[in-house]
Amino acid sequence: MAFEPILTRNVGNPDVRTVAGYRRAGGYEALAKGLATEPDELIEQVKLSGLRGRGGAGFPAGVKWGFIPKGNDRPKYLVANADESEPGTFKDRVLMEHDPHQFIEGCALCCWAVQANTCYIYIRGEYVRQAEVLEVAIADAYREGILGDNVLGSGFRLEMQVHRGAGAYICGEETGMLESLEGRRGQPRVKPPFPAVVGAFGCPTVINNVETLCNVPHIVSRGPEWFKQIGTDERNTGPKLYCLSGHVERPGVYETAIGATLDELLERAGGMLGGRELKAFQPGGASAAILPADKRAVPLDFDSLAAEGSMLGSAAVIVMDETTCLVRATRRLAAFFNHESCGQCTPCREGTNWSEMVLDRIEAGEGSAADVELIRRICNNMGGTTLCALADAAVGPLRSLVDTFGDEVEAHLAGGGCPLPERRYFEEAARV
Amino acid sequence: MPKVTIDGREIEVERGENLIEAGKKVGVQIPHYCYHPRLSVVGQCRMCLVKVEGMPKLQTACTTQVMKDGMEVKVDDPQVQEAQAGVMEFLLINHPLDCPICDQAGECGLQDYSFKHGQAFSRFEYDKKRVYPGRERIPVGPHVLLNMNRCIQCTRCVRFTEEVTGTGELGFFQRGARAEIGVFPGKQLDNPLSTCVVDICPVGALTSTEFRFAERVWYLDKEPSICTGCDVGCNITLEHREGKIRRYKPRANPEVNDYWMCDYGRGTFRRYEETPRLTTPLLREEPQAEPQRLAWSEGIRRLVQQLAALGPEDTSAFLSAGFCSTEEAYLLRRLADAVESPHRGTTLEPGEVRRIPNPQGGIEGREAAPNRRGCELAGLTPGEGGFSATDLTEGDAAGKCTLLVVADADPGSRLHRPETVERLRRAAFLVVLGWGESPLSAVADLVLPTTTHAESDGTYVNCEHRLQQFERAFPAPTGARPAVDTLLEVLAVVDARWRDLTTAEVFERMAAEVLAPAEVSFAGFPARGLSLGDGEAAAG
Repeated sequence: MAFEPILTRNVGNPDVRTVAGYRRAGGYEALAKGLATEPDELIEQVKLSGLRGRGGAGFPAGVKWGFIPKGNDRPKYLVANADESEPGTFKDRVLMEHDPHQFIEGCALCCWAVQANTCYIYIRGEYVRQAEVLEVAIADAYREGILGDNVLGSGFRLEMQVHRGAGAYICGEETGMLESLEGRRGQPRVKPPFPAVVGAFGCPTVINNVETLCNVPHIVSRGPEWFKQIGTDERNTGPKLYCLSGHVERPGVYETAIGATLDELLERAGGMLGGRELKAFQPGGASAAILPADKRAVPLDFDSLAAEGSMLGSAAVIVMDETTCLVRATRRLAAFFNHESCGQCTPCREGTNWSEMVLDRIEAGEGSAADVELIRRICNNMGGTTLCALADAAVGPLRSLVDTFGDEVEAHLAGGGCPLPERRYFEEAARV
Repeated sequence: MPKVTIDGREIEVERGENLIEAGKKVGVQIPHYCYHPRLSVVGQCRMCLVKVEGMPKLQTACTTQVMKDGMEVKVDDPQVQEAQAGVMEFLLINHPLDCPICDQAGECGLQDYSFKHGQAFSRFEYDKKRVYPGRERIPVGPHVLLNMNRCIQCTRCVRFTEEVTGTGELGFFQRGARAEIGVFPGKQLDNPLSTCVVDICPVGALTSTEFRFAERVWYLDKEPSICTGCDVGCNITLEHREGKIRRYKPRANPEVNDYWMCDYGRGTFRRYEETPRLTTPLLREEPQAEPQRLAWSEGIRRLVQQLAALGPEDTSAFLSAGFCSTEEAYLLRRLADAVESPHRGTTLEPGEVRRIPNPQGGIEGREAAPNRRGCELAGLTPGEGGFSATDLTEGDAAGKCTLLVVADADPGSRLHRPETVERLRRAAFLVVLGWGESPLSAVADLVLPTTTHAESDGTYVNCEHRLQQFERAFPAPTGARPAVDTLLEVLAVVDARWRDLTTAEVFERMAAEVLAPAEVSFAGFPARGLSLGDGEAAAG
């Protein structure tokens, strides 16, 4: 079944980067319609649509908006999470770069729904080009009366500002992001209170991922019922961008209805690189448990993947073929988490560091049988014991290595090191 | 107030109280590192994980507040114990375990909790622990040394400088396993309370430059006491060994110094080391002559003799500088009463301003002596037509005195300025009660050695008119006698009812006289002291 692109429908049409062009493509009609709707009604529509957060946690967006306390004069904020720091994820980048006004429109609708007059777009420092595109688009939107004191003549005031981060993974965690936004060291806060009550600058704050917000104009213009028709079931609805990377012929962002299988994505991406065999894949970025090839027919949605012990996360599907050493791959991921742990919580600070050392030892052929048990214990002591989910994220791939791919670890232990020849993916890719 | 059940023990607590504090109230100790009652709650050491009924995961006790009835908490639980052992293991894998050369050993959170919650073996099998080369002994300030290798990144010290002193010298730099504590470039940890970071550091990362390697802490005996550095009267634990004070540590009293004390106060016990002690009564028959050493009975007899010899036209005066205890001041005043002298006074000893934060916003001491208000409360103020302290120290009053008795006076007192010594010396017979050699004792006719606050019981009244008690930590050196005993013996000559009283009994007599409505006993003295109201009415 051919899928009519929704979120990426304007990709390849540079015209939409101006307000005028975006309007020609039907843009900002949803905002006008939204502003004519009661804010509560808007929240209700988003709740009905079943839209779940696309940043990783999959929390229902409408429910989150509903947490914002009503009827007090404290300022409220929307912070759009454009930090996109999960390894293997590059979908928000496409959305911001190719269709900035769709994103701005989504932000504006969210602000109207929760009655926030200020929106910060927290964008990762490495996204220089995307930040520029957004700055230009926002300036254009101010000129055209989309932003400012009187949004589309409705009397609603909305300020929007791009805030560039400095490149820490942890600033993608919502409270770490708020700390960074406020000018402090980016590290997660104690929850509760949750940001909906005490967020940016101590005020109620909604934090949504870029892709989540980009869905909102479509829900408003085409209705929640339409949105619910797309996807696996009523808990997994709407279009989804999958970031396909690794050993595939054409890596990239692919939009389908949520719940595509790996096979369907591979088909669109031209199959496995060099026609080789699939060995394993991570369905949701570096934090997701690695799944073996026989899970290739599992629908890539929130609940189906959770049932398999993994997660949809940011839908960064990392494909590994038969030439991949999973010990080395996991070691690389462990190194990432070790590097990116903020250092607050003991289990994460020490556990991510220790796990990298153990995997180093196994990969170098100096491991012992006790190391497998040790990794399990580190996972137990790290998982669910910290302030934020970074430790749990680090546990994801680690645990799947010893539980699902134990034979690979055994081979390293028995053979005094990695049985696979060293291969460099980029060289390989260049040759192909 | 909501009720919470911790390990089967129910307790009613203030709404919003956290589980660590609630646990303390029912006798359940929940181990923790980063939590401190006066610092913001960050929940990052993860040592205080407990099981809360109805929550899917273990919760940190420090961040979990009791908001409504019925919360059930389990601390004595296999899952909690496993988590505690896990955190201990994580904390220790990169810890140098250099306890034999670490100053913190004996009062270390890592040692204590390893013993209680840890395990006896390590699964960490690497030659190299994480180290911070060149950061093993950094003087972060004049009083504090940092050894980063021992740090467990609890950030108590950082939060202390941000939230208590507001000076913000310290920061948390880098991230993950490389995260470290440090001073901001160009800064030094040199605020007046800087050594408090050593107290709150749960491990040996921050140690005191002064105390470092001075003593193994398990040899120290500890006694609750009061700092004598100024009139704030910080509550302290006086730690001593073999008759010597080794250090002062703040003892929590939210009404006074809270959990803190200043660096200056910590160092004030050194005056007892630096000043030679007086250990025998001395009599100087000729002004310039070498003093004659007397037996105590003879020393007392000489003072009694002087008092007895006072005729109707003779003048006697009694002076204190606010360093003696309230009981000593009281007895000195009774002595003045016995000879019907209106000439008595307490000098004011101006000092630097010392500010200690506490939950009421802070307390500020401006005097160098700890007990001027106590002396005044006890009645060491001029009677009708009597000389005041100023008359004696700055005027010519001493020259009119047949007998002048000066109690106490630390060597730092203004009484020891040459011009004051000269004025006081004009008295026909000068008696000095003091614990250390001083310019005044060097010219006195009769010197009676006394004890320091570490060697006697007593009370002080601080700048906010709070009566506070200190207790004897160790015996006085041979020959020195508590001034209370000396004065009682002299008073007993006149009135046998003063014979063989204890300091407690003296206190109770004084309390009955000057604290009329307040009922307080020396043995059952309130731990946070006794507020005498604004005190001005009582103390004048």
